[in-house]
Amino acid sequence: MLRAAAFARHLRSKEVVTTMNKIMSNKTATQEFATAGSQYKTAAAGVSGQPLVRISNLHKSYSPTVQVLKGLNLDMAAGERLVVIGPSGGGKSTLLRVMMGLEEVNSGSVNFAGQEYICADESKQKTKINLDVRKQIGMVFQHYTLFPHLTILQNLTLAPRKVRGESNASAEERGMALLTRFGLGAKANAYPNQLSGGQKQRVAIARALMLDPKLMLFDEVTSALDPELVAEVEQVIMQLAEQGMPMMIVTHDMWFAKNIASRVVFCAGGVVVEEGTPDEIFNAPKHERTREFLNRVFHI
Amino acid sequence: MTYDFSIVLGYWQALLQGLGLTLKLTLLCAAAGSALGFFVSLARVSSIKPLRWISTLYVEFFRGTPVLIQLFWFFFCLPIAIGTDISNFVAATLSLTLYTGAITSETFRASLKSIRKEEIDACIALGLSRISQVLYVILPQAILRAIPTLLSNFVSLFKESALVSAVGMADLMFVGQNISSNIARPVEVLTMVALIYFVVAFPLTRAVTVVERKMLAKLAI
Repeated sequence: MLRAAAFARHLRSKEVVTTMNKIMSNKTATQEFATAGSQYKTAAAGVSGQPLVRISNLHKSYSPTVQVLKGLNLDMAAGERLVVIGPSGGGKSTLLRVMMGLEEVNSGSVNFAGQEYICADESKQKTKINLDVRKQIGMVFQHYTLFPHLTILQNLTLAPRKVRGESNASAEERGMALLTRFGLGAKANAYPNQLSGGQKQRVAIARALMLDPKLMLFDEVTSALDPELVAEVEQVIMQLAEQGMPMMIVTHDMWFAKNIASRVVFCAGGVVVEEGTPDEIFNAPKHERTREFLNRVFHI
Repeated sequence: MTYDFSIVLGYWQALLQGLGLTLKLTLLCAAAGSALGFFVSLARVSSIKPLRWISTLYVEFFRGTPVLIQLFWFFFCLPIAIGTDISNFVAATLSLTLYTGAITSETFRASLKSIRKEEIDACIALGLSRISQVLYVILPQAILRAIPTLLSNFVSLFKESALVSAVGMADLMFVGQNISSNIARPVEVLTMVALIYFVVAFPLTRAVTVVERKMLAKLAI
């Protein structure tokens, strides 16, 4: 595991480092970052003092004994790049899946841009989801989730056409523009199986962007990739960060976490244990559990 | 004893007619049976319990009994049960269609099941409605994946259709049997009949392999 990570680090291209440096020079001033020529400035970002995302008291259990989220609270300001780290089973991925409406919760709620869109109805034991709000959030998963029977371009245009009723011509034009931007223009008519893992993940990111999300969730998007393919995917995420896209990232790649995060959240045992700037978390963790986790990750 | 296969050539017209009926019956039952099988497979994964029970009972019954009994039942018993005569063609079509429906429903069910849960997550994350998920993601893949197995199902049906000779239908098997007993040349005639079956079935089984390989290469499904 560690050797793979080291190898990946070794392979990272100069380009990634340059992109990262650009971002890092901006990193301390998050608000500044959001307003500096941001392509993805959201309406929500304008509302002063209100978090973009507010997660309140989330509880989720799969059975009475298996509790994944134990009252998780988390706020995210507009323009932030929040990286969630922590041990497996600590609730990181579950949190993103809940935010996307893929998991039911036992109690708690999630607000986006001031609107509550996920809420546990405890009397009916059902989770209420406001789809109109949730549709402003895009997500990319760990495993490739491209539709294998559709070409790359069709993968991108399906949702805009069927969800928003966009015309085929307009969706294809936007799709081609995105693919070209991600260096995948030549693959538009290929099928997912003809692409490398890194290319597939870039397509998955492009597919989510087709719906103009106001927040992107990345759930361990490089965990299933061969080490030499990690950089190209991280670079695309970096590009998005540069343009001011708010994002929440779950990752096991500490190098990536350190370099992309405006704030790092350490999540374990179904709660947020500690949060702070990458510098605070990685160099001066306050909590024993955080120290333990980081020691294990960096010193095996 | 010397064999004279040229004798068989004298009966080519009758054999061709028999083959014609065999093919007609196979195509008819393959088309009707797979359409039926498709809907049965949907019923089997439906959230409506009675629909699931009935479809499961149907599939298990037709998979668990000999085709010959099913054929006899529709030919001999059904007319008594409903009080009207039915032709052997109707009885044969009915029983083979129901049999094919049961077999192909399993094929469709397996292909429906093979769609990864992650893809459904992606559908939800993209905001696709349940109907869109089914129409544009689940069904196209399920049908594509079912094609190779369906083709093998059809080859089996083509061979099993020889059973209809038992209810007096003049298919290839029936014609061959009659000729062989009339001219007392079973070796020549039955060998030739077997060859005719093989000549039709073999390209189909080859086609299954080709289709499978092509789909694997392109779609990895």
